Parts: sequence; structure tokens; C-alpha cells
Amino acid sequence: MIAGEFEFFAPKTLAEALTLLHTHHSGCRLLAGGMTLVPVMTLGLAQPGVIVSLNHVSGLDGVEDRGTTLRLGAMTRHATVGSHPLILEHAPLLAAAARAIGDVQVRHRGTLGGSLAHAEPAADYLCATATLGARFLLQKHGGERWLSADAFFVDVMTTALAPDELLSAIEIPKQAAGSGYAHQRLRRVEGAFPTVLAAAQIAPRGGPARLGLGGVAPRPVVLDIGEVLGNGVTPAALDEIGTRAFDAARHALADLNGSTDYRRAMARVCARRAVAAAADMLAPGGR
Amino acid sequence: MKTFISLDVNGRKHQLAVDTRAKLTDLLRDELRLTGTHVGCGTGSCGACTVLLNGRTVKACCVLAADVDGQQVTTIEGLSEPGELSPLQQRFVEHHGLQCGYCTPGMVLSAHQLLADNPTPTEADIRHAIAGNLCRCTGYQNIVKAIVAASEQQ
Repeated sequence: MIAGEFEFFAPKTLAEALTLLHTHHSGCRLLAGGMTLVPVMTLGLAQPGVIVSLNHVSGLDGVEDRGTTLRLGAMTRHATVGSHPLILEHAPLLAAAARAIGDVQVRHRGTLGGSLAHAEPAADYLCATATLGARFLLQKHGGERWLSADAFFVDVMTTALAPDELLSAIEIPKQAAGSGYAHQRLRRVEGAFPTVLAAAQIAPRGGPARLGLGGVAPRPVVLDIGEVLGNGVTPAALDEIGTRAFDAARHALADLNGSTDYRRAMARVCARRAVAAAADMLAPGGR
Repeated sequence: MKTFISLDVNGRKHQLAVDTRAKLTDLLRDELRLTGTHVGCGTGSCGACTVLLNGRTVKACCVLAADVDGQQVTTIEGLSEPGELSPLQQRFVEHHGLQCGYCTPGMVLSAHQLLADNPTPTEADIRHAIAGNLCRCTGYQNIVKAIVAASEQQ
């Protein structure tokens, strides 16, 4: 039993949910999968006066092919993100991130939008969506706006979402056929939250190449590594990428999972491994 | 504050007023007296409260009771008739896949989900499948043996 009293609403439509948010926005929390919110309410760390569950809103989940992009409903569960054929074909990095989260039960219930809106800096989806160039659809009663990852993620557990807005969809550009990718995740045991994350997404034939880092700064860091890989994935290029990751992690927050120095050192290791693994997936001479 | 919900638990329909502060574990254990669903940590870490929600395993301590309106829940009591064991439960007994038994209902439901999704799991598949269920007695070896045996006899 949760200690504090709160009002509970389970709207069936997005319009109803947005109206509730508009009416109650101060002290109101949106409940998605509840994998973080319910435990923190149990512990008394969050005491919202109003809970609006999104679990019964129709049309907020699922994956849609929009031509050059995929559009994912914010309530799409991790298990679906990790196994959906469209995601496996066009953005397999995101599927790999989803499959790495928590455990089976968490992946059945937890949602893409819930994790993104919570914005824990080392969360798998933050790094993956930023690396993939995702855009985020924020809706409120009577309005909506699209934001890039750079604009959406503001600080530790802080996004651009206003109190009366909800994250309803995430748009992921389809990655070029034949791309290489890797989701390199350092964690203490299976299911544990990552200490440091590195995500690499490398297009074939000199196309865009990006390295994302998580857990090394208040929000995900994305480095353009196309130029560094100009002569292929050479040992010198990997050294340079490791150094850039080490530099990008210079203000990494220290916690029980690791000091700033440890995270910097591991950012170098994870970045090198991610880029090497992604490059290995490219066809021979593919870069 | 109360809210009215209807739900199906182990094939039985219920309509009841639940406290909005109640979690699915409170509803199952205190209202419906289905005490096979155990509560370890209460914060989503141990998996003792694992149940099937619409056929997929979830941790019932992380689900609000008010939020399961119209849903279908299966608990450990729904896996076999009273006084009987399902083949999977029988393998846990034969292979000593439990000691204190506290984690066992959740462990069995996670194994049940695995075998439904993948009838021929490798040992690695089994270990990944029960990663969300903590056991502090067995060291997991006999649990894995029990699930292997259940998969071989399906």
C-alpha cells in the first residue's frame, strides 16, 4: 500500500488525458509502465496528488512506418521495442537498447516514453534515441511541438516537458541498409542500470557515423565520428575516438556505481568497443 | 479514496472497490486472499510478486490495483487445480528447486512464461529468463535444473 492519498484517473483517449493534465497539472504525475514511479511512491520519495494512468489510452502505443522514419507511440513497451520487425530492420540499435533494460518482467510493463520522460542520464533509451537522431512529439491541450533530442533532454532527470505536456510519440529516422551498430553497456550485474553506455551507429560508404555516450554527463552526448573514420576504422581512429569519449566524460557524476575517473576510463573503453563492433557489422570495405 | 474496477483473476470475474493507494499485490493478497503472490522488496527488484497480466509476467508490486481495471491476471494459484501441481511445479519439487520457498511462486511463473515463449530454451536462455527473480537460498543451480527438466518433458 502506498502511504499518501492521491486521486487516480484512467482516461481512454489522448484528448481526455490532455484535458486532465491541463486541469490538474500542478501535483499531477503521468503513470506509464510504473517501473520507477510506483516504487518511488512506495518509498515516499514522490507524493503526487493526482495520478493519470496512460495504460488505457488507445493509440498511444505501436510502431508505424512513415516512409523515411518510424513513429513509435510513447506507451510502446520495451518487449515490443526490442522485437518489432520494423525496428529490427530500420533501427536495430533501439531494439538492442530495449532488450538490455532490466529483466523480462520490467520489459513487459515498462515503456519507451516513460523511460525517456524520466530522463535518468544512463538510461539505455536516452543514448540510443539521441544517437539515432530521434525527434520527440510533445502534446498538450490545444497544442503540440516536435523537439530534437538535444532540445528534449535538458539535465539530470529533466526534460523540456512542461507540466501540462505529455510525450506522445518518438520518431526515429530509418538507418541506411547495411549500417553497423552497437549498444555497449557496462553494468555490475545483469539487469542492473548501466554505469556507462556507448552506442555506435555507422552508415556504409562514408555515410554518417555517430557515437552516443550515456552515464557520462547530465544528458546524452553524441559525437560525430564520420571524419575520424575517414581512413577506415584504423587503430589510430579508435584511439582518437577513445580520447574524445574520455574528454566528453570529464564532468561525469560520481555515484555508488563509479567515480568520475572510473566513468571517464570506462567511457574510453566502451566507445572503442562500440565503434569496433559496429564497424565489424559493415560489409567488407563498407566504410 | 476508492475506485471501482472489474478484473479477471485465474478465470474468476471480480468487481470491487479498491483503494487508489493499493497495489496489485495488496489487491491479490488482502482482498482476494491469494497469498501465493509474495512480496519481497515491494519496489520491483526481487520478482517474488511476479504474476501474469494479460498473459505476460509483470511485478505486481509495481502495478496499481486501480490500473488493472478490465485486465486479466493469473497468479500461482491459477497454474494448477488446488492440491495438484503443474508439470513445471512438479519438476521444481523433484529437482529441489526451492529451499525456503519465498521466491518460488514468482520463479515458477517466470519459468512458465519462458516455456510458453520458447519451449526449447538453452541454459543461458533460462538464466536470462529468471534474471528478474532473486533467490537467496538455492544458488539457482537446482532451479535451472528443474526448468531444464520441465522443458525436456514438454
